[in-house]
Amino acid sequence: MLESLAIGFSAFGDPMVWIALVFGALAGYLIGAIPGLGPSLGVALLIPFTYGMDPVVSIVGLVALYAAAEYGGAITAILINSPGTAAAVATSWDGYPLTKQGRTGEALTVSILSSGAGIFISTLFLILTAVPLSEFALRFGPGEYFALALVGLSLVAGLSEGSPLKGTVAMGIGLALATVGLDVQTGVPRFSMGNPEFYEGLPLVPVLLGLYALSEVLFMIEEGPSEKLKSTPIGGLLALPVKTILSLKKVILRSSVLGYAIGVIPGAGASIASFVSYAVSKRASKTPEKFGKGSLEGVASSEAANNSAVAGALAPLLALGIPGSPTTAIMVGALMVQGIQPGPLLFARSPEIPYTVFASLWVGVPVMVLVGLAGAKVWAHVANIPRPAVAAIVAGICFVGAYASHTTMFPVHVMTVFGVLGYVLRKLKFPLAPIVLALVLGEMMETSFRRALISNKGEWDIFYTSPMTVILILIAVLALVWPGVSLVRARRAKARSI
Amino acid sequence: MTACNLKKLVLGIVGVATLTLSVAQSAEAKDWAPDAPVSFVLHTKPGGGVDVFSRTLAKELEPIIGQSIVVVNAPGGGGATQMAKLRVAKPDGLTLGVNTVTHLTGMKTNLRGTFSPEDFEWIALAQIDPIMFFVAKDSKLNSITDLVELAKANGGEVNIAGFGPVGSMQNIGMAMLEKAAGVKFNWVAHQSTPDIIAAVLGGHMDVGVSNLGPTLSFFEAGRLKGLGVLGDKRLASLPDMQTFGEQGYNVDTSWLQIRGVFGPKGMPMELQQQIADAIHKAMASDSYQTYARAAGVQDSDYGPKEYSAFIKQMSSVAEEQLKAAGIIE
Repeated sequence: MLESLAIGFSAFGDPMVWIALVFGALAGYLIGAIPGLGPSLGVALLIPFTYGMDPVVSIVGLVALYAAAEYGGAITAILINSPGTAAAVATSWDGYPLTKQGRTGEALTVSILSSGAGIFISTLFLILTAVPLSEFALRFGPGEYFALALVGLSLVAGLSEGSPLKGTVAMGIGLALATVGLDVQTGVPRFSMGNPEFYEGLPLVPVLLGLYALSEVLFMIEEGPSEKLKSTPIGGLLALPVKTILSLKKVILRSSVLGYAIGVIPGAGASIASFVSYAVSKRASKTPEKFGKGSLEGVASSEAANNSAVAGALAPLLALGIPGSPTTAIMVGALMVQGIQPGPLLFARSPEIPYTVFASLWVGVPVMVLVGLAGAKVWAHVANIPRPAVAAIVAGICFVGAYASHTTMFPVHVMTVFGVLGYVLRKLKFPLAPIVLALVLGEMMETSFRRALISNKGEWDIFYTSPMTVILILIAVLALVWPGVSLVRARRAKARSI
Repeated sequence: MTACNLKKLVLGIVGVATLTLSVAQSAEAKDWAPDAPVSFVLHTKPGGGVDVFSRTLAKELEPIIGQSIVVVNAPGGGGATQMAKLRVAKPDGLTLGVNTVTHLTGMKTNLRGTFSPEDFEWIALAQIDPIMFFVAKDSKLNSITDLVELAKANGGEVNIAGFGPVGSMQNIGMAMLEKAAGVKFNWVAHQSTPDIIAAVLGGHMDVGVSNLGPTLSFFEAGRLKGLGVLGDKRLASLPDMQTFGEQGYNVDTSWLQIRGVFGPKGMPMELQQQIADAIHKAMASDSYQTYARAAGVQDSDYGPKEYSAFIKQMSSVAEEQLKAAGIIE
């Protein structure tokens, strides 16, 4: 193990590897920051450049880009309330309120430090547990996947602000939208209105851009030019009081472990990881009422988790050749072009690949954090731009980002429709997060539910005979019931105190 | 051309040896020399098998034609986005697409009336990739015969995990076996091959369907067993796995996964031939050969004439099978 790690670190004796790492981190940071371009698109864009490179150099560049791009989504989430990825949605819940309070720099600094810490911690777990955990993840069958999706949905139901009824309706909207597209089992087009563009379902990035960013633009237009937000300039690189950072260490550690564990399960991914860890942090927090109004804990838990999920998603890829996320699925292609077949024999045949990945994740942390901290100082000034200009810039980003995601006009139309929908829903005080999460999880939930029944002669016992499924469903039920219970308790306590 | 003759044809022409021959012959004709960068439009997202194939081929093709090749990923609509882009392109050879059997089954089902094989020119076939059935190492099944026996005993309650919905390329392959053996299986649709492998390894599905490439390292690691391959002959990398035919189940062995190059309607035959020759020349390069052997695919040297005939045959088999399965009227 240590010898192999030494092999991994020895790769960094080659200056080309350093160049790949720094370039990957910079490119990922920028790609993640542009809504519409996410980690998977970034990795895909980089693949053609990796052809002529040594396999080790190219994998270091790709992993650095993946990790940095998964962080970059937080920048726009915090600055303009438009999460670049579904995994950054939870970051925007507290990040954007912080910006409104003029604390952009603080939010960005916490987000990059949590992300860096998340990658560092989860990489340690990756090195120690990649193989056994990936083997364990194989036990997740269709029943377990359905239950897992249920946990994600029920947690977010408990998170949404405002009335539980509106949260439930929003989730229903999201689940309904998730059914658009070809039926996975029978191939029948659903709600496609005769247009093949809808066959593959609603494209997620344009929906996100519309619901969050374009609707924000509409609000800005409505409010008109107002007082400028004064953002408090941040001083040196480590301007945040050390005390603040140390106070977040528990949150970061817990979120990193959670994010990694959820990331290992193929298909669960960074978005579920960030939502679950946000929910858990909120329950565990001493000041849960701050969540959603600008809590640094909220930013830290979402960001530590979605970056830890990167290491998690790499575990089944390196240990078994089964990609844990859309981005790692693209990496399989990059490795195959190099003549390396990811699979159960990778550690035995090309140990330099997994161990270089481990080493580059660690070496990449300081690089990424420095880029992020330097960036935070620059971004903090965005809050000083007059609002009409911000509205125009964000609207431009929305249209370009939607177009870039598929290079056709279809996603642009989708984005526009959802922009108006997002505006109307927010006016009516409907939470948006349940819609997004239901859209992300809906497909996994439906396909695994049906797979479970189809593979079990249509019998329902598959959902209560596996211990893992039962435990997950119980967690989901608890998460749904708990907010109600605590509400009743709080009211009783209030009644007594009067 | 009957299926039987076609089988012989496939048998006769597949292989690297013939490739070199065709390249040698084509050197006399005028070579393809486009005057601008060429676009390869794909129907899939980056990173999948089609993407890796296209990018590997493009890299070898660039020096041959003296132009750069841009790979454009245009996923969406089960190939509809890509085919729409291709259909409106100029037939000048500067915009080409990569197709699989999915295009043909799509034209018979969801995209029926929107696109048909007659809307395009079918220029060259590059890869053929038979499908096979596999199980986890500890499964009690060892052959297609065992699988058929089990299905008979269980009244069709054997779960087969494969790629795509009912009516997909692999599902039709399964339907052919059902017909030949007189049994029913239970199709469980999956959306990616790694998902299928994971479901079989985890014991959630009885049998998986896949092309060789993605499963090869699992066979080498001794974690999967092959039941049978739908093809004329056994796979070179897995010589112990018998074909369906060897086990007594006669199915149409021209039902293979394919990767070929097609273009907009109205491209001159001469240009098509030049493009096909350039593609097959690029495929003879060392680095393409290394990739193709690692990916477990077989090469094909079909030019425009053979490929167009092959597409016609494939389409009619698809039509027949989809009707038999009751998916289309």
